[in-house]
Amino acid sequence: MTIGISRPGAVALALGLSALALASGLSAPAVAQQAHPDFSGLYFPAVGPGMRTQTPNPLPYNDAAKKLLADYEKHFTLDDDPGRYCIWPGMPRAVWGAPFTVEIKQRPEDVSIYWEGYGMYRKIYMADRNPPKQLVPSAMGHSVARWEGDALVVETDKLKPYPYMTRMATSSAAHVVERLHLEERTAANGQKAKYLVDELTLTDPKVYTEPVKVKATLQLRPDLSLIEYTCTDTLWDDYLSQRGLTLPDLDALPGGGKE
Amino acid sequence: MKRTLTALLAAMFAALALPAAAHHSFAVYDMTQNIEFKGVVESLKFRNPHMAMTLTHKKPDGTTETINFVEGAPANMLVRMGLDPAVIAPGQEITAIGAPRKDDPSSYFLKAIVLKDGTRFQSIGP
Repeated sequence: MTIGISRPGAVALALGLSALALASGLSAPAVAQQAHPDFSGLYFPAVGPGMRTQTPNPLPYNDAAKKLLADYEKHFTLDDDPGRYCIWPGMPRAVWGAPFTVEIKQRPEDVSIYWEGYGMYRKIYMADRNPPKQLVPSAMGHSVARWEGDALVVETDKLKPYPYMTRMATSSAAHVVERLHLEERTAANGQKAKYLVDELTLTDPKVYTEPVKVKATLQLRPDLSLIEYTCTDTLWDDYLSQRGLTLPDLDALPGGGKE
Repeated sequence: MKRTLTALLAAMFAALALPAAAHHSFAVYDMTQNIEFKGVVESLKFRNPHMAMTLTHKKPDGTTETINFVEGAPANMLVRMGLDPAVIAPGQEITAIGAPRKDDPSSYFLKAIVLKDGTRFQSIGP
């Protein structure tokens, strides 16, 4: 069962739980700690001053990675784009990703994030809720989180290599630490709006000489919705074209009011 | 009416601003150009990560040619702007504005679509 609690609701719940704790003899602060911000909602990547920091340019590649970069740039062109072939950007790149809706669902045991772009999906498990182990590296990796006050601190590893040297490459040694928190600011239209801020630090000693820090912000946009994003249509179209095949046009059949 | 994705796409590529290339760079296109073609949609691939379209138009000498817009904005972004793909289905008369590839001037990036009623869907550029 999904339980979504708004911030005012969480506070009210905390107060209620505190009263309940006092009545039951439990420690009120211990119970109140359970009331955390709720990140659930629909968001859209925010732009503008202070919303994000640019990816460092150049990235602090170590000498060995610099050689790989030079070789990569000799052989790969701008058209050699993994995104065109539906390769997920994955973590950490998804955090500041393409301008499509992002949906977050939070439960006491985990946080699920759905990106419309590429149809990406990520699970963040709470450390105190017996998170499952992950044996196989993946694009999103294995994320485990804990609360530090109102900030959710997420640590991610088990990432599979992303060897696209001009796109913030990461090896399997990559480790990502994020601090997520909600803020209320005045949006470009002058209205107050809520934002989810993600301050991210990537450490990858196989590739970089120092941690790489990026900040990205999502604006809460309950007016939006997720639209299905099927990335592989282009690949299939290209295959059919190469085979000289044309699919039947079912919509050209009579009936159904579309004649 | 002009509905613009410029800010969105600019944000997209700024957001994805990676050391040398974005999700994918526009560098293969001459984005300084805005070449306008008024014609009839011949084929439409309304898809992600990039839509594609061919459009047949009449040249000043009276002959026709088919323009190949090899890519444009993601279908989802156009839908979010309010574009119903039915209005650019094959057979529809529209105006398409493109930027040619530098290495293949017969292939274009679709920068904007203008419907017969003047509604404009701008994916990038002025």
